[in-house]
Formats: sequence, structure tokens, C-alpha cells
Amino acid sequence: MTGATTLAEPPERTDGEAIALSVILRGVRKRFGPVEALRGADLSLRPGEVHAVLGENGAGKTTLVNVLGGMLRADEGRIEVSGRPVSMASPRDAWALGIGMVHQHFTLVPRLSVLENLALGVRMVAGGFRLPYGEVRERVEKLSRDTRLRIDPDALVEDLPVGARQRVEILKVLFRDPEVLILDEPTAVLAPQEIERLLALLEELADRGRSVVLIAHKLDEVLAVADRVTVLRQGETVLEAPRSAVDAAALAEAMVGEVVVPARRSDEPELGDTVAILRGVSARGARGEQALEGLDLEVRRGEIVGVAGVDGNGQRELAAVLAGRLGVSDGACELPERVGFIPEDRGREALVPSFTLVENLGLGLLGEKAQRSGPFVRWSRIRERTEYLLDRFGVRASGPSTRAGHLSGGNQQKLVVARELERAQDLLVAQNPARGLDVAAEEFVHRELLRLRGMTKTGGVGGPGIVLISTDLDEILALSDRVLVLVRGRIVDMGASRDRAEIGRVMVSGLADRGD
Amino acid sequence: MLELAIWVAFLEAGVRLGAPLALAALGECVTERSGVINIGIEGSLVAGALGAALGALATGSVPVGVAVGALSGLLVAAVFGAFAIGLNVDQIIAGTAVTLGGLGFTGVVYQARFGATGATLTLPTFAPVPVPGLGAIPVIGPIFFDQAWTVYLAYLAAPVLWFFLFRTEWGLELRAAGEEPDAATAAGVRVRRVRFAATLLGGLFAGVAGAHLALDSGTFIEQMSAGRGFIAIAVVVLGRWNPLAILGAAFFFGSASALQFLLQARGVVAPYGVLLALPYLLTLAALAGWIGRSRAPAALALPWPKDG
Amino acid sequence: MGSGRFGGLATAAAALLFTTVVASVALLVGGHDPLEAFGALLSGAFGTPQRFVSFTLVRSVPLILTGLAVAIAFRTGVWNIGAEGQLYAGAIVGVWVGLNAGDMPPLLAIPVALAAAGVAGAVWAAVPALMKLRLGVGEVITTILMNFVAIHTVSFVVHGPLQEARGVFPQTDPVVDAVRLPVVLAGSRLHLGFLLAVLLGVGLWVFFRHTAEGFRWRAVGASPRAALLSGGVRPSRAMFKAFLLSGVLAGLAGGVEVTGRSYALLENLSPGWGYTAIAVALLAGLDPLAVVLTGIFFGALEAGAGAMQREAGIPAVWVDGIEALVILAVLAADRSLKTIRARRRSVEEGAEPAEPVPGVASA
Repeated sequence: MTGATTLAEPPERTDGEAIALSVILRGVRKRFGPVEALRGADLSLRPGEVHAVLGENGAGKTTLVNVLGGMLRADEGRIEVSGRPVSMASPRDAWALGIGMVHQHFTLVPRLSVLENLALGVRMVAGGFRLPYGEVRERVEKLSRDTRLRIDPDALVEDLPVGARQRVEILKVLFRDPEVLILDEPTAVLAPQEIERLLALLEELADRGRSVVLIAHKLDEVLAVADRVTVLRQGETVLEAPRSAVDAAALAEAMVGEVVVPARRSDEPELGDTVAILRGVSARGARGEQALEGLDLEVRRGEIVGVAGVDGNGQRELAAVLAGRLGVSDGACELPERVGFIPEDRGREALVPSFTLVENLGLGLLGEKAQRSGPFVRWSRIRERTEYLLDRFGVRASGPSTRAGHLSGGNQQKLVVARELERAQDLLVAQNPARGLDVAAEEFVHRELLRLRGMTKTGGVGGPGIVLISTDLDEILALSDRVLVLVRGRIVDMGASRDRAEIGRVMVSGLADRGD
Repeated sequence: MLELAIWVAFLEAGVRLGAPLALAALGECVTERSGVINIGIEGSLVAGALGAALGALATGSVPVGVAVGALSGLLVAAVFGAFAIGLNVDQIIAGTAVTLGGLGFTGVVYQARFGATGATLTLPTFAPVPVPGLGAIPVIGPIFFDQAWTVYLAYLAAPVLWFFLFRTEWGLELRAAGEEPDAATAAGVRVRRVRFAATLLGGLFAGVAGAHLALDSGTFIEQMSAGRGFIAIAVVVLGRWNPLAILGAAFFFGSASALQFLLQARGVVAPYGVLLALPYLLTLAALAGWIGRSRAPAALALPWPKDG
Repeated sequence: MGSGRFGGLATAAAALLFTTVVASVALLVGGHDPLEAFGALLSGAFGTPQRFVSFTLVRSVPLILTGLAVAIAFRTGVWNIGAEGQLYAGAIVGVWVGLNAGDMPPLLAIPVALAAAGVAGAVWAAVPALMKLRLGVGEVITTILMNFVAIHTVSFVVHGPLQEARGVFPQTDPVVDAVRLPVVLAGSRLHLGFLLAVLLGVGLWVFFRHTAEGFRWRAVGASPRAALLSGGVRPSRAMFKAFLLSGVLAGLAGGVEVTGRSYALLENLSPGWGYTAIAVALLAGLDPLAVVLTGIFFGALEAGAGAMQREAGIPAVWVDGIEALVILAVLAADRSLKTIRARRRSVEEGAEPAEPVPGVASA
């Protein structure tokens, strides 16, 4: 315990018995550089309830619960636990108060076994000496039975598929028997039956006196179990009400506020020549696993091909193969030269944070002859181009010589999109291009994609073919001319289908039974 | 009979020369398991040797010498830790600097104490301690159980560290810090503290290893560590970050160093320089042949927390 | 323009200030007068034009060349700690050519000897380079091990096949006149190698700053993933080339040394230049042009160390400690300045930390 940081200790409790822990967050503010993620968010949590936190992408849900879980420190605002003000500097402090969190990203150690991951950080015996493997195993097995979350305690986490990892993640937190359980989008990688089971489990926990904070952006999921809801919009709490007092329409309105008309395709595509062909393509992932298996794909100018799917089904590899960055282990591809590529992790894969904006533009544009003269780079030309693009795409930066790492996440993404649209003469591969952007920026990216698609109608040779790989089905449905689903490295063609339920079923087909 | 005696002498020398490698590598193994590669243990080694020399000279006592040597090694590792963990600067560069600093600083102290020409020191040395019972076993006894007590320390440390790493909660937290520091933090592990402690432990072991060098040969020479710290790091790789395997690998490389005695005893004429280069060449060859079969801790040598 | 990783004038200045202060305290503790020590050091290095040119600048040649070798490698993300060994490889081959070039005119002998030395350095670097890129063995330890192999190879060579005809000392005969580098400043010992080193510094600066290939290497060094995924650069290829070029420069340092100054190969030809080179490169912020200056600075330190020992009675070995201190000081200063700048930025314009905080991206 870092005694100075935690002002209040929770009351003593006897094992397994819940103590009523009420938590109140008031006026929480948190900024990341120019972005104010939270500007006066409130949350009050009563014992024995399932409390849903709703809001659009970028509304500040994750930031808020990260403050509650000790991952982030608020710039302003107060946190009270059972009436006493506390300050938390680390997850360790949150744990000491009985607050545990299931994160949106995995926090497991891949090369440790499930058992070791569960035991990590739990001091079972005084002084941390011998690790009582037998006792841990007994408790894990009992917990697994009680919660009906099945796992193999001796498997290495790195060998587990994503669904099973998520079960471990949830069990890991339950293993410590927290008073307050926070779950940040726990259902994204679970199959429908698993989601049902998890939601039932949460209700059960609340019945036993624990408080549960549940974040999800799927309204119907949370409404089924929530006792109360808090809605965040642009970093502020705009609604807090018992579930029974609100309906879905009221919540949706609270979440969106003023209605932004989302960009969507409104006409039939004008198809040009075929620009990319994959035939029976297989490829391996970073750890040598079979990521793509015998996959066929054809892309023509003027169309947006949407590739839907649950994360971890070969998206990264498909994007890299299409962009010519990953060799195939089997099959044949015909790919164009002038490809734009918006990778998933822009911070690490699309930009060099220590390089200036000009240099980052240069990184993508050096393939063009016009930017070079002999072995030399024509930096003045690239600088002009950078200035133009910063202006046109509205990238907020103090100048073209700023280092890319100093931009906010949204501006980084705009810079990447600007560069890659410039390059995408024949093909554009975009993986989750709007992830992490606020509503306006997301809108902007979508409009740019549609503009690029429309170029085939207006101009001679025409615009590029576009492959949109996204885990956000709404994004896919709004923009794509045809929809494919990527499942376990294979493609299922949904044609022009717009049936969410059917696409959703295909997305999880063959996933549910994995990992058991 | 003479033939056997030569082999016994060779293997005995292999164990004796392998002991400092084993001690340094065992300590480094714990450091690396926590996610920190400390190539500054070369500096800890030479500091340990000088510390042991000064301590033993001042008191006439070998154990005091070893203790002073251990502390000197720990001190050097603390400097490394302050930079690599405290300031979060690049571990490789910090380690290189600490090694150069260790070599330079020991030179300064040595010359300040004994003059620039450096009088040849004569230090109290280890007396071999035969282990009751085991020492009397033919062949095995003289090779393994009639050695200095620092050698027994290595025998003992390997299983103890193995137990520590794989069977205790501390060890679990330490390994988690070296694999996924973010996940470890989320689970409540204080990663920096764990890493610093592991680094200090590594320095302590390297200090004892240095002390063994000085008090086994009975003298101190500037730069007498002669790259053993670096070989020890290779030994950690060859031992797949497992203390028990590391012990074996260290004695293998000790034997490589002892090979020159064997060859000389058997009348094989090989150029001196080639013989001296042999341990390094063997280490290189072993690394080339061995790699792929072992995976380093995932977070090894990466700055943490991440930043620009 | 700086790589962003190290560097900047402010860093260098802060580091030197820190080093001076710490060294002064250490000297005081050791019972020496820091003013006297630094006075002797400075006068030994800069006291007369003759000293500056014939000691400091001549000393700086191998430091600039190996410093460039390290800077290239580090910039491309290759941790070549093996300049020392590559230098010795160059020296061995350079001296071998130098002993056997009797029939060649200087115009031919000198380029042949230096080219051979460069190639030898590259070959020595190729071993760890291939082990890294083909087998995945980290280059830090392998390059260091290769240093020890090189040092013992020199010892073997000068005791054996290339030992002087008299057979007394462990050193080679002097190289033939044809291969000796001409003196470029009449009345001094400053040889052609200095001009070569400066030219290479300028050339490499242009290479990194203005050529597409140099830019690709920098991108690989700064972020191999981004270089591959956004720039289409194969990191392993760029790293291999940079590794070899680094070896060429270090090998050249050895070749220049035996043809320009020592005229023979002997044990301990290098007092650890290949390691000092790391300090040279870091203090320069890995900028090739700045390496020329920091190389001269360290040349002055080493030239002054002798004077310090003679005139102030302070062992020259102090300079080794100071060099290590410089590296640590650069690291510390770089880190501190970065923190200060980041803090100031976040106050002024509210910029985001370079790496997004976990969880923010989806908040």
C-alpha cells in the first residue's frame, strides 16, 4: 500500500461477504493534450446494482471508468467511496478499495498459464513466498464451475483464442472477489450465447450485493440487465436515471444529442477495371499461425468492399497482404503499385512519432518519382505538399515541422488519411479508419472515402477500388457497396445483403465452439 | 592413470573457471526475467574483483573480500538501475556506459592505491573446501566437491533461484513484469520496484563472481573481467533463462576456457592468441546454433513506461 | 535536424556541464586539484597550434571514423557495439597490404590498403549482421564477443605470422613508404586520414539528410514497423546495409591508423576507440556532421590526458572514467530536457503525449 495516496481504507470484511460500497464520482475532468476527454462527468454507484454507462465512441466512457479503476488520474473532480474522499494513483490502490476492472484491451500475460495469470498480484500468503498452486487451482476450478465460464487452468494464454482469453480476463477479476466490478466492452469478442451467460452472471453478482459497471455501445445488451444508466456525451454526464424510467429512444437521443447525419452511400457504384485479385491466398500471422486460408477477393475501381468480422479473424493480415506488405504462403495475388494503406495502429504502423510531419508525408510519398531527383529527396516539394494537405484536411498542428508524435490522436489519423488518399491511385486499404476518432472526424473520414469512390463517376480513369476492413458493422453497412465477412481467415460473401442479424450470425459462426 | 589425472585437472579447472560465469549469469537471469538486460554486469564484475582485492588486502580475510566485492557489484548495478529504470533511458547504452565506467573507475582507484605501474598484488586466496563425503568420491569429488566455497554458492543458487522464479508469488510477479509490464501493473505489481530489485540482485551476484576471479587467482589486474560479463549474458540465452540450465551452460564455457590447459598438457601446440579467442568463438557458435529454441522475456530491453 | 532520439545542442551542453561538475568533485575526492587537472588537460590538447594539430587532431581521426560507424548503425536501429573489433580487422588487413605493397605506386597502394581495411571491417561486421538477420541472434552480445576475438587475433598475428623480422617485440615491421598517408599540413603529423574523416562526415550528413536511401535508414531506425507498413521499406535489408557500412567505417579507422600514424600493427593499438566511439556518437546526437566535432573533442581529451599525467600527476586512466560519464550525462540530459519540453508544451498548447495513454484511443 502506498499509504499516502489512499486516504480511506475500506471497512474490514469477512471472506465472501459483500459490504455495501457506494462510489461517487463528481465533476471529473481529464484532458489529453488538446482533447478534453472528460469535462465534468458524474457517476454514482449503489451497492447491488448493474449500472450501465452509455455513450457514443469518444464520449469518454473508457476514460471515466479508467479513472475509477485507478488507471488514470483525473485532472479535477472528486471520488468518494462510502462517503469518504479517496485518491487513487494506480490499479493497486483501486484494488485495495475493492474495485476491479476488466479492460477493453487484454491485460493478460501471454506466456503465463491461465492459473498463473489468475494468481498474479494476489498475495495468497503473507510475504509472497511460496505460491500455493494447489489452492489456487481449487479456487479457479470452483469459480469456473460457479460462473459457467469454462477454461483450462493449465493452458498458456497465448495459445487461447480471443473468446477464451476474454473469459480468463473476466475470471481474473472475479477471482479477487471485488466489491465493484467494472467491465469495459466485455462482449465485443464473445459469441451470442456467451454474452447471454455473462449478462446473467452480472445480474447474479449484483443480487449478491456487488456493484457492476458495464460499458457497451450495444443498447439492447445493456438494457436487458441494467438497473440504472448513466449517459455520457462529449465528456459530460447528460443523463442518469433508473432503467425503468427511460426507453431506448430517450437514451439514443441523450447519447447523440444534436443529430449528425451520417455519411452513407446513396447511389449505385460506377464500376471500373479490376485493380486487385487474390486467388486462394493463405498467409501467416506474426506468431506463425495460419491467419488467412484460401481466400478469394476481387476489387474494382469505384466500389467500396466492406469486410466485416470480429477482431482477430485475420483482418491485420488481409490488410497487409492487399497493401503488398505481407507475402502469402500460398495462392496468387495481382496487386497494383499505387496503393494507399491506412493500418489499424496508426501510432506505430503509419507514423514515425519522432519524425516531422513533412518527413512522415515523405515516408509515404517517396515511391513517387516526382519526389526525388536521382538519389536525392526533393524536400521542398514534399514540404509544399504537406502544407497543402494539412490545410485541406484540417490537421491541427503548429506547422509542417512539428513532430508527428505531438499531434492528438485524431489529427494523427487525419494526417495518415490525407497521405494515403494521395497515394491511393489504384487501391485503398483502410482498416478501422475511424477508430478512436470523435464524431466529426469520423464523419470527415467517411465523406473522404465516399468522395474517392465517386471519382470514378466524375473523372476519366477513375478513382481507386476501396477495401474497408472494419469491426464496426454500422460503418461497413453505411459505406459498402458489397459486404464480405472474414471468419477465421476465410471470406464469406454476403453480396449486397444489409441484414444485420444475418451478417452478425456469420460473423460469429464457428467462433462459439472454439477454445473449449 | 596419467591420462585420467589430466582430464580430472581439466574438468576441475572448467568448474573453477565456470563458477564466475555461473554466478554472474544466474544473477543476470533474474534481472532479465524482470525485463531488464544489464550488460553493465561486466562493470559489476570488475568492480567486484577490485572490491574483493581491497577488502581482502585490508583485513586479510577472504569472506570479507567476497562481501566487499558483492557490495561493489551491487553499487555498479544501482547506477545502471538509476539510469535504465529510474530515468528509463536505453538499457543497452546505459549498460555499455556502466561497463566503461566500471572499467575506468576501477582503473582510477587501482592506480590511485597502487601507483600507475601497478605493483603485482598478492591477495589471500580461497582454500578449497572438500565437501565431507562427496569430496571423497573418485573423479567426481575432486572435480566438483573440492572447490572454493563460492563454487558451492553457484550450485546452491541455481535451484534456489529456480524455485524463486517459478514457485513463489514474488517470482510470478517478477516474470510478469518482464513479459507484460502493463498487464502486471493492472494486476497491482509495482513494476519499477520489482525491476530495480532484480537489477540489484544481478549486480550482487556479478560482484561475487568478480570476487571469485580476484581471490581465485590471488591478484587484481585492470580489466581482469575480460568480457566474462558478456559471456555470462550469452550463457543466460543458452540456458534459456532457466537457472538450472544456466548452471550447466556456464560450466560448459568454463571448460572452454580451461581447454588451453588440456591442450598444453597433452602437448598440442596451438597459437596462444587462438586459444584465448576460443571461449568467445565457442560462445558465438553456440548462440548461432542454439537460437530459435529459446525465447527472451517479451519486454526485455524495451523502455517502460513507453514514451516518445 | 536530429533524430529525436538523442541530441540537440542543449543536450550536449548540459551533458558536458554535468560531466565537468561530477569529474571535478571526483578529482577533489581523489585528492587532486580539478583546476590544475583541467588546466593541464586543456594546455595539452590546445596549448599550442602544434599540440592541437599533431596531438588532438591526429588523435581524433580514429574517433571520428568509429564515431561515424556507431552513428550510422544506431540511427538505423543496429546496436553495433563492435567498432573496436571491426577497427582491428581493418588494421590487420591494412597492415598486411602495407607490408606487401612495395611495388605499388602510392596512388595505388593507399587506396588499395584503405579499401582492403574497409572490406575487412565489413566482413567482421557481417558475422553478427548475418547472425542477427538470418538467425535472430541479438547483435549486442555478438558484436562484443567479436571484439574479443579480434583482439586475440591481433595478438596471434603479431606474435606469429606477421611478427617483425627481428622477432623481439610483438609487433609487425613498419609498412612500406608507398602506403603511408601523406601529411596534409607541412611541419605537423596531420595526415590525409583527417581530411578523409571530415569528408566522410559531411558525406554521411548529406546521405541521411538529403537522399532517399538515407531517409529510409532513418525511418527504419525510428520505427521499423512504420517504415515497412507505410514506407514499404524492408527493415532487415536497410539494417544489413547499415551494419556493413558501419563496419566499413570502423575498418577504415584501423586502416588509416596503421598507414597514417603507427605504421605498424601492435597489441593495444586502440585504447578502446571503438567504445569511446559510442560516447562520440551519442554526444553528437548521432548527427554525422556533429560527430566530426565531438570526435575532435574526445581527441582533445585523450591528447590532454597524457599532459595531465605528466604535468599534474593525475593518472591518464581518469579520462576513461570521464568518457563513461559523458555517455551517462548525455542520456540523463536528453531525458531531462525531453521531460521539460513535454511539460512546457502541454502547458502552452496542450499537445498530447507522443504515445497515446492506454485506453484513451477508445475513450
